[in-house]
Amino acid sequence: MQTALQFGPVLVHFDRLMHGVVQTLYLSFWSIILGAIIGILGAVGRSFGPRWVSLPIAAYVELIRNTPLLIQLYFVFFTLPLLGLRFSSHTAAIIALSVHLGAYATEILRAGVESVSKGQLEAARSLGLKPYRIIRHVVLAQAVRAVYPALSAQFILQLMGTSIVGAIAAEELTAIANNLVMDTFRSFEVYITIAVIYFVLIQGASLFFAGLGRLLFRWKV
Amino acid sequence: MKFMKIAAAIGLAAAALATVSTTAFAQTVDEIIARGKLIVAIDTTTPPYAFLDADLKPTGFDIEVANKMGEALGVPVEFVTVTSPGRIPSLLTKQVDMVVSIFSITPARAIQIDYSIPYAGQSAVVIAPKSTEIKSHADLVGKKVGLTRGAAEDAILTAAAAANPGIEILRFDDYPSLMQAMLSGQIDVMGGGDYGEIYLKKSAGGDDFEQKYPLKTFFFGIGFNKEADDLRQWVNTWLMIQKADGVLDALSMKYRNQPLPALPVF
Repeated sequence: MQTALQFGPVLVHFDRLMHGVVQTLYLSFWSIILGAIIGILGAVGRSFGPRWVSLPIAAYVELIRNTPLLIQLYFVFFTLPLLGLRFSSHTAAIIALSVHLGAYATEILRAGVESVSKGQLEAARSLGLKPYRIIRHVVLAQAVRAVYPALSAQFILQLMGTSIVGAIAAEELTAIANNLVMDTFRSFEVYITIAVIYFVLIQGASLFFAGLGRLLFRWKV
Repeated sequence: MKFMKIAAAIGLAAAALATVSTTAFAQTVDEIIARGKLIVAIDTTTPPYAFLDADLKPTGFDIEVANKMGEALGVPVEFVTVTSPGRIPSLLTKQVDMVVSIFSITPARAIQIDYSIPYAGQSAVVIAPKSTEIKSHADLVGKKVGLTRGAAEDAILTAAAAANPGIEILRFDDYPSLMQAMLSGQIDVMGGGDYGEIYLKKSAGGDDFEQKYPLKTFFFGIGFNKEADDLRQWVNTWLMIQKADGVLDALSMKYRNQPLPALPVF
């Protein structure tokens, strides 16, 4: 019986764990970019669009926010193929993660959009700004700034959320760690190691978003 | 003085336990018939080999083998439930006459206990749609191969993928996800137990799948204490007749939907 922690058998596979880190960052990066785009379009569409635009967006937000991410992953990977839409594990993971984040980002950004006072919109219109410019420079710039902390917290949750995509056979840090557990039978050591890696990744992401916030929002209010 | 009393009590209890375990254990067929029952260790969490039916009575392939053995000896069978790691200790401590519980024959285990000749076996196999032509690892190149993380198939097919570049391995966390991936066409091929297609066939479209080729076969023997040569000799004789009469294959068809793999003898 070996009960003492032995990290040697785990750390010799450090290259595999680093491959997992790259995959985790890849999934996070693309799903955050796509999710943010969905969120911006969703928030603007829900606040300013006609009913036939805002109602489907509201339905999408409610549907996604009231179902678990794991079920959304299963749906994209196992159910869509029956309708003829077939994606690889990785693509399916990015789609499900983006759609998931998009719903939350829509709600967060909508709160920001609605925090911009009606008076500013009227002022912009009376200055003769085109609708696109009003949304881009008057509404969104202020909305993103107002909800930036909530938005970046959601992005970081997304990074942690990637840890369950092993369920549809996508390779990322947690799935690779589970493979390592089966190879080395050193579950404690493997999970402690990836906990440390996740901690570093998430701290790094927090610092990155804080720095990005400072860079983007230098103007005075 | 008090200490002496406690020590004596413990000694008596130990002696009583020792007596119980020696009377429970029979080394010869004569002793079993004289005692009037056969004591068999089983594990009821191993369907389709041993499980509890709707009335919570043990049933399955292993249970029927043990009961038929009892019939042949003319004595009822008393089942003792053990866990998988408890099988060897139950023999070493002489709590049971034999273990009938998907007991894979391995040289390491045979250092501690004796086995009968194999009475059953199970293979890890490659399963794919009937329309897919697959005969060996080489045919898996360019295909998506699904398996359960850490199962026996994992090690074999991972090694195959290393030797044949172009095999894509997808690891799922459990058997239901793996089967769902097979049914929805997300994987072309899957590795699983040879009774796996029973479960696939219960699903819509499951009739399109078949076993392609075996990866590794495990053989099950009945386990004995090393002192029980007389009993083991009788069981080997009985098993030989059951195999020759097709009794074991019939049981396999009943519980596993397919005949047994070819069983070697030693």
